[in-house]
Formats: sequence, C-alpha cells, structure tokens
Amino acid sequence: MMEIDGLAKAFDGVPALVDVALSVRNDEYLTLLGPSGSGKSTLLRLIAGLEQADAGKIRLDGADLTHAPAHLRGLGFVQQKYALFPTMSVADNIAFGLRHRRLAPVSDAAEVARRVARMIDLVGLAGLEGRQIGQLSGGQKQRVSLARTLVTEPKICLLDEPLGALDANLRERMTVELRRIREALGVTFLHVTGNEAEALAMGDRMVVLDAGRVLQVDSPATVYSAPATVRVARFVNAYNLLSGKSSGGRFRRGAHDLPLPPGVGDAAHYALRYDAVAIDEPAAALDDDRASLPATFIASEFLGSRVVYLFRLPDGAVMEVERHLSRFDPIVLRPDEPRRLSWAICDVLAFDAAGTLISNDRLGRAA
Amino acid sequence: MTATNTDIVYVAGQSAPAKPSFLARNRHYVLLLPGVLWMLVFLVMPLLMMLYVSFWTQTTFAIHSTLTLKSWVTFFSSDTYVEALMRTLRIWLIVLGLTFAIGYPTALFIGQFVRDKTVQTILLVACVIPFWTSFLIRVLAWRPMLGREGAINIVLMKFGVISHPISQLLFTELSVIIGMVQIYVVFMVGPIAFMLARIDDSLIEAARDLGASPMTIFRRIIFPLSLPGVTVGAIFVSVMVLGEFATSAALSGRKVNLLGNIIVTQVGSLKWAFAAVAGVVLTVVMAAVIAGLLRLVDLRREL
Repeated sequence: MMEIDGLAKAFDGVPALVDVALSVRNDEYLTLLGPSGSGKSTLLRLIAGLEQADAGKIRLDGADLTHAPAHLRGLGFVQQKYALFPTMSVADNIAFGLRHRRLAPVSDAAEVARRVARMIDLVGLAGLEGRQIGQLSGGQKQRVSLARTLVTEPKICLLDEPLGALDANLRERMTVELRRIREALGVTFLHVTGNEAEALAMGDRMVVLDAGRVLQVDSPATVYSAPATVRVARFVNAYNLLSGKSSGGRFRRGAHDLPLPPGVGDAAHYALRYDAVAIDEPAAALDDDRASLPATFIASEFLGSRVVYLFRLPDGAVMEVERHLSRFDPIVLRPDEPRRLSWAICDVLAFDAAGTLISNDRLGRAA
Repeated sequence: MTATNTDIVYVAGQSAPAKPSFLARNRHYVLLLPGVLWMLVFLVMPLLMMLYVSFWTQTTFAIHSTLTLKSWVTFFSSDTYVEALMRTLRIWLIVLGLTFAIGYPTALFIGQFVRDKTVQTILLVACVIPFWTSFLIRVLAWRPMLGREGAINIVLMKFGVISHPISQLLFTELSVIIGMVQIYVVFMVGPIAFMLARIDDSLIEAARDLGASPMTIFRRIIFPLSLPGVTVGAIFVSVMVLGEFATSAALSGRKVNLLGNIIVTQVGSLKWAFAAVAGVVLTVVMAAVIAGLLRLVDLRREL
C-alpha cells in the first residue's frame, strides 16, 4: 500500500502538482484521469523517482520513498514510448531488470530464462523471443515494455498512457489484456490517461486530477453519475453544463427559468447527462416533473449504437443529446429546425458557486 | 504524363500502349552521371594508374613502362620502408587509442550531461575553433611548447620538478603523437557526441526504473548505442592519421618517417614507381582498416 501526502512540485516556479494526497491500495487497478498539463505525468514520475518532489511524502508499506533513487524503489514504470533497448532482443529486453538490477539481481541463467518465458507467455509474445526491437509492431512493443517491467515483480506498476500510441482496434484488445494480466499477477496498476472512456472502463477506482490537484477519488460509476465538481463533470464528457444564478428553488439563465431538484438551494451550475435529455415537438405538453428549453437543431453524428444530436439554445449555448438506438429510432431533423429539449428534474445535477456538487434526494439514495 | 494515368479505360480490341522504352524507364540514372564521371576520372582512373605505375621500371633518371616487380621487391626487402610501414601502423594505433580515451569522456559529457541543445552546439563548435587557424600553424605551435627551451620545460624547471630540460619532448615520436592527437581528437568527439545526444532519455529512465545502477546503464545501454559514433570517429581518425606526413615532418625534424613522408620524398626525387608502390600499400592498409572497423559495428543496422 502506498500513501502520498502533501506532494508538491513546480517547474521553473510554475506549479505542476499542489498538495496531492492519494492512497493506493494493494491489488487494485487505479486509473488517473487528467487533461494534458494536469500534472498526471509529473505525479507518476515523482512516484517512480524520475523527478524529485519539492514537498510532501511518498510512503510504500511504511517506508519513506520520497528521496530514494529510482533504481532502489522497487516500482515498475511502463513508459508511454515503450523505451525498449534497441540493441537487445525481445528476451534480453525482458530479462534486463532481472539480470542487471542493483537489488537482488538474478544471476542464475536458467532462473532468468524461466521467469522471462513465463512472462512472455502471460503477455502473449510466444515465438517472438529472438526478434529485434525494430521488427516489432506497436502492440508487440507495448507488450514487451509491460513484460519487461512486470517480470521484476514491482510492488506497484506505473503505466504512463499505455494505450495512447495504439490504434483503436488494438486499444480495445489491450484494455481487456491489461486487466487480465493485472489480475493474474495481483499487482497494483496505476494507469495514467487523458481518455475518460479508458479511465472509466479500466479502473477499480479512479482519480481525477486537474491543474495539479486531486478533484475526486471514487469508483468509476460514482465519478460518472455523481462528479464531485463541475470540472470533473466536464472531464467525464457526459454532461451538458449550464451556468447561471438561482433563487427560490429555480435556476435562472438569461430569460429562462428552470426548476431545481428538491433540496437544492443555491446552484451556480446546472448539469444534464447527454442521454437524459429528450427531443420533443416545439409545442409538446410537459409533465410536472420535467423541465424544458426551446432549441434549434445544428447537426447530428451517427456513432453506430447511438446518435448524438447537437442543439443551440436561444442564448447560443450548445446542448448535446445522445439517443441509444436500442431504445429510440433515429430521427431526421433539418438544420435550424426548432425543437423543445426536456428532461426529468430529478436527473439534474446542481453545483454551487465554488463548483462543488450539491447533494440532493436522488444522490442521497444512491449513496 | 497522361499515358501513365491509371484511370484510362482500355476498350476491348484496342491494344494497350506499349511498355515505355528501356531509356524512358531508366531515365533517373542520369542523375548519377556527373558524380560517377567525376569519380571515374579523378579517383578510379588515378588509382588504377598508380597500381600500373608501381610495376614500371625505374632507373636513376628515367622511368619506362616495361613491367617489373623490382620496386615491390625493393620496398619489402628494405628495412627503412618496412620499418616506416610498421611505424605508421604503430602511431596510428596509439593515436587512435588516445583520441578515443580523450574523446569519449568529452563526448559523453557533451552528449549526455549537457541538457541544453544550444550549449551542446556551443561546446561542439568550441572543439572546432582550433581549425580556424591553418594546419601548419597548429602543428608548428607545438615547437615553442615542447622544445628544449619550450614552455613545458621552462615551467617544470621553474617549479623545480626537473633540473635539466627534457629533450625527448620535441623531434621524437612522442611529439608527433601529441600533435596528431590534438589535431584529430575532435573528429572522434563529434560523431560520438552526436550518437550520445540522440539517445532517448526514456531509455535511461526505463533502465533506472528496472533497477540498474548508473554504471550498468552505461555499460549495457549507453555504450552499445554510441558504438556507431565510435566507428565513424575511428574511421575519420584512421584515414587521416594513416595518410599523415605534415605533422610528422614538422614535429619530428624528419626523424620519424611515415608512409606518407616516403611518398612525398620519392615523388620529390621523381621516383614515381617507388612512390606508387608506397601509395598502393597505404591504400590497401586504409581499405583493410576501414573494412575491419565496419565489421566491428553494423552501421547500416545501427544508424
């Protein structure tokens, strides 16, 4: 188990991480989501010992690692660019850590070969042991890089955007593979990514990082359905976010006035999941438990199992509506065609002026 | 170029256009013509001519084209010439070793420990600054440095390290080696520093992370990746040192004769056949050295 406390790092006076606290459990898949420049790579490099922290502590199973040199930490770091050694074969790359590490190197050639062979099997590289690095595809390099780290049996394996350089098809396969390999070894993975779908799909828990601060640490389901702040809601990329002022249980935005869920007082942000919005005729009747806004159609995007429709509100803001084709038939709209967008009031998430989620009855029940 | 467009539909019965003629298909080789001609006339022909002349008959005042092995036999049966060949090889090996021993650490510093690309460039340019003066001045400048009354002897005497000036510093093999190392070390530093600067930091970080100590990282990762640079540098230094005559002439007082010096002397006394023999021997030695160095590292794979 790793405890990170008050970790801070600045580059040339520009803060990259500010007071980061995080605890990483044994045997878990932890994903770390953040936009580029959020400090997620810096956090990983500090943990690996490739950069030195300005302040704060990193403890692993009680031992202080904050200033330990990288080669004595016993952690694994899978580089984004794979960083395979070009002068060595696949097997020699994987064996490097076992043979040449400072702490407890394995000098018995048969033992090295046995462990390398086991790892080659696990990551699915059988038959490629003798290949040179230049003869491998991107996906194979990824596997070699992973095997090279995992064979040293690190306490925690740090992965820096491991799927970033792979094409879509391969990425989906590696998503499943990474989880399988992790479960087979029982090692903790700390997977850094800028892709919200990846972070949600792969993590047992996920951390959302922005501007060097941790915004939320929760299960992916909780992060998705109850983002702790407006910024998290934005990174999850599933919410229409409207900002305005509220008074007397109603949310005011320009000329429009929207009902807030019961129990919500002062809201500054109003969030609606893309798939919680319905597209109605302009003059359609509205149930009491629903709210609506007029909008004009801009464009739609067909995504296979679902269609995304983009609408413009009277004040110019864009609303995204997602309709799953298993539940709705696609509809055809002309550009600028007027429609009314409606949603159940209880589906609304409200955030206060500081951007923090205001809990309401529905969320109370969910938690 | 409509004839080669793929979207032309051929109507049945109409014959497809004939395959472009041999000349049209191989037109791009014309690009090579100037280079090939130049090399043929000014490199290949003279080399063959040199080989041919080395078998001509040389008399004291004349040379004629009757073929004979006499110059070759003289060259290899005379101690002076065989010794010059051996001396050339010995000095080459020493200078190569010293330029590597001095150049590699310098290149390692520039290529790996200077993070700023601008500073890297400035340092490499600084290595080249001595080349802003002429070759002869660079070589002759060693005389007031190494001579009996030279700077080194004066300083050593002043500090009482020695009581008599060391006379072995100048006009010996040592002074030739010192001069050559100083001139050629930069040709070793350049290519090695270039290769070292190209090594991706992530490789070194990966090795650190896998638990390797800095020494292991150097031995297993950095040094193997710099080998192509070492080969290129060694080829530069070898070719120049093996063909040297000016440094040895200026710093040895004509006491240390290399193959290059022999060629200059023989040409000066119009002994063309003999000079040609020495020239062929030198060319063969250089070719063997380069082939051997290329064997050591597969440049095509590494670069």
